[in-house]
Amino acid sequence: MTADKIISIAKKEGRTALTEIESKKILTGAGIDCTEIKLAKTGKEAVTAAKKFGFPVVLKIMSPDILHKTDVGGVKLNLNNEEEVGKAFDEIIGAAKKHNPKAKIDGVSVQPMARSGIEVIIGMNKDLQFGPVLMFGLGGILVEVLKDVSFRIVPLTRRDAREMIKEIKGYPILEGYRGHEPANIKILEDILLKVSEFVENQPEVKELDINPIFAYRDSALALDARIILES
Amino acid sequence: MEKTMKRLERAFNPRSVAVVGDKMALGYMWLKSLAHFQGKLYSVQIDERELPGIASLGVKNYLRLQDIPDEIDYAVIAVPNNVTPRIIRDCIDKNVGAAALFTSGFAESGTEDGRKLQDTIAKIARDADFNLIGPNCMGIHNPRLGLRHSLDQTYGHSGNVAFISQSGTHATFFSLVGPLNGIYISKSVSYGNAAVLDSTDYLEYFGNDAETEIIGIYIEGVNDGRKFFSCLKEIARRKPVVIWKGGVGDAGSRAASSHTSSLAGSPAIWDALIKQCGTIKAENLNELIDTIKVLLHAKPVAGYRVGLAAMTGGQSVVITDAFTRERFQVPLLSEASYKKFAAFFQTLGASYRNPLDVSLNFPHLDRIIKSIDILSEDENIDTVVLEISVAFMKDLSWINTNLFDNMIEALVDFKKRCTKSFITILVPAHAEQEALEVKKKLVARNIPCFASFESGAKALRKVADYYQHKTSV
Repeated sequence: MTADKIISIAKKEGRTALTEIESKKILTGAGIDCTEIKLAKTGKEAVTAAKKFGFPVVLKIMSPDILHKTDVGGVKLNLNNEEEVGKAFDEIIGAAKKHNPKAKIDGVSVQPMARSGIEVIIGMNKDLQFGPVLMFGLGGILVEVLKDVSFRIVPLTRRDAREMIKEIKGYPILEGYRGHEPANIKILEDILLKVSEFVENQPEVKELDINPIFAYRDSALALDARIILES
Repeated sequence: MEKTMKRLERAFNPRSVAVVGDKMALGYMWLKSLAHFQGKLYSVQIDERELPGIASLGVKNYLRLQDIPDEIDYAVIAVPNNVTPRIIRDCIDKNVGAAALFTSGFAESGTEDGRKLQDTIAKIARDADFNLIGPNCMGIHNPRLGLRHSLDQTYGHSGNVAFISQSGTHATFFSLVGPLNGIYISKSVSYGNAAVLDSTDYLEYFGNDAETEIIGIYIEGVNDGRKFFSCLKEIARRKPVVIWKGGVGDAGSRAASSHTSSLAGSPAIWDALIKQCGTIKAENLNELIDTIKVLLHAKPVAGYRVGLAAMTGGQSVVITDAFTRERFQVPLLSEASYKKFAAFFQTLGASYRNPLDVSLNFPHLDRIIKSIDILSEDENIDTVVLEISVAFMKDLSWINTNLFDNMIEALVDFKKRCTKSFITILVPAHAEQEALEVKKKLVARNIPCFASFESGAKALRKVADYYQHKTSV
């Protein structure tokens, strides 16, 4: 399904927030590698999906009414076998219902557990004066506490992408700090350019968050994504 | 683009100017500022009490714009704000090239009435495709034509730096402080609330103005950010643009809103814009002036390696600190350079490693010049920085009469043969009067000089970044 199609379906349904599955489909269509993902409506479906992907897997609540999945116990990581997956499914649904009994619950998403890499985030927001602006930063505590992020106005050039990555204080971490695996900067630049091109061509997109992206020596993988449409 | 050029050509190079509503209460500031205007000057005023004052200035007054038996290229409007819609209609009727609306009390007042009135005049102007500058502004300044908005502004000469300013004060100050630093305006505009014409229009004009080589901007906000972004990007490829963004942070945004009704926007986004466009950021008038000084009067800065010549040990340490803080490298020199130094440089209590501590070589002007020649020829050096120690030089005049003048002449010759960027730092200490004299002489000979190591280092850094951006992809 193309981005246009996904967006028009959501609009028809009166939704401005796309699901993680929809967001990832759109990003994959834009040429950005995302973890595979499948919606499971039952524990059995979750186990089937997990077996197809191979263990370990991650389960996440899929509900338009729950945006901060981790906060409500809606995310289970590193599930190593069928039994753990089945149990996690029930726990997630239970926790979600407890958190918000009125929440519409689509099910649980199953995705392969990605090998850990350097956590990076890329976001897009619209500035009142300058329109779409991209943000880049290191994930986790560095972005939340230290606000170590950089901005560029869309459209980005290759130089803009390179400079906004280099600009953050945590840049040495991307270069491979103390023998850790470095990130492939060129691939991160590519992702920024692809996001820039995508939002330039999709004025319907109001906000976009890819958080986290795991950056590796020769690839990068989007683990979670969220797209908000203009209302 | 061609359209904007044509539209504003008459306004920036007028052959005739009408001032509507100048009065005693303003000290007839408009008519007086235009006393040396090269073209024809007219006044429009209906208040009989003002007519003798206008007549005493030798300016012919009319009761209506339409009565003036001449084409009007540019009008300044200083009438009460409730009359402005009618006067703008008169301008349109008279086919005036452009009008600057000095009157305030529009959107910047924060009142519903003010906003409505601004919408009204903007609509009148837009519908007629009329060039309305402002409101709440000082309008156009063209020193060559004597088109001024302040009595203190110089006239009768042209320059090569254009200034686009949302503030009248900053437009005026830039035009006054610039010449003290060897910076002369080609044309400038103070444009206030930008109800119709905005920064982008002026930017386009100056981007294509043959007289303008460098563009300075003081800006608080912009109406169409995306248009500004793409226009700035394109023009910055051809001409250096230095941007001073006013209104950062919450309180600053509030001030910008009540000053020019601008939406100040996020400082992080403005910083991104300035970088993406390959433009230079300044944070105050001094930085703006200092940066333009380097752009105008130093050769292109090829890199980040500086050769520093200080007159004493203490200064050699802190000049190095100042340039290192701005992330310059102060490298050791080549063996060839050290050999040249060894042949003449008195090393007792002095040093030529880089930074140079001239010390006992100080009274010998030829040694100082030889030293900076070696620095400039060294393959490890991109820019030569010389401290001029006014306080100590003053005391040495008994050894070397006319030391200052001789030095300046020698520096002029040095600048001519030096292929690299060269700046000087004037350190007055207590000798402020003498420093001012030396500064005037340096400025007259187009040798960039700075008031402190820090300000020199900062300006050089900004310009080095500019050239680095320009020459890389």
